[in-house]
Amino acid sequence: MKLNWFIRKGIIYLPIKIMGWIILAAALAYAVYIFIDIDSHSHSVSDTMINFVFNLLMIGMFYTVIAFFTEAKPRIEAPEN
Amino acid sequence: MKDKDEFLKKMENLQVPDINPSEHQNTVKMVIMNAERSAALGVWLVVVPCYFLLCVFMYHLFNVRVGWFGAMFKMMAGLEKTPYIDFLGPLILFVLPIVCIIINSLSIIHVQIQKHGQQQYKAKEFSITIKVKPWNIVLILISLAILFTFMAYVMTESISIK
Repeated sequence: MKLNWFIRKGIIYLPIKIMGWIILAAALAYAVYIFIDIDSHSHSVSDTMINFVFNLLMIGMFYTVIAFFTEAKPRIEAPEN
Repeated sequence: MKDKDEFLKKMENLQVPDINPSEHQNTVKMVIMNAERSAALGVWLVVVPCYFLLCVFMYHLFNVRVGWFGAMFKMMAGLEKTPYIDFLGPLILFVLPIVCIIINSLSIIHVQIQKHGQQQYKAKEFSITIKVKPWNIVLILISLAILFTFMAYVMTESISIK
């Protein structure tokens, strides 16, 4: 089954279908939740940022792995005569 | 009628070029994965261990004693002690670079087994072609460096002078 949920622009995957947008929204919502959760337990700004950057990179990685397997192949346009 | 005979005569006397198919070795060398897609995923696979190793190098090698880098070690040490996510440290520093190496290697390496020579003396040739795709090669080298660093750390930690 071919899923065309995302399209690649460089190293970033952008959603093109509703399912892709849902996954992106879920990733962003989880990132915000993680930030609030870490901030409530941390003792300083740097403590918050260290943990948040690490988690943000992990979320980005998992998002990219999902997008990698559900990517739409770019259309090959015919050359103009 | 006369023209037709002349034409047929010309056509019969035409010299057909002698083409030996074995001399034409130009083939399309297909690879298993797309190089650009593999590079895009590879960047995300190595960025997390690179971030961690950057903190380590800044803290130890360059003596940048900032709380940021020191706290990174505490976090990684904390991961090992937390029951359900204790596998995360080795996964980041060992499994992700290996996956990056595999997908990027598959996108630039073409392997072929050919038979060469005459009918009686055919010998098999195993040829490996590596496409020069800079980003994929750089990602493979970075992943190898991460793996080497992790292995060196594990070996030095496990060796104790008795």
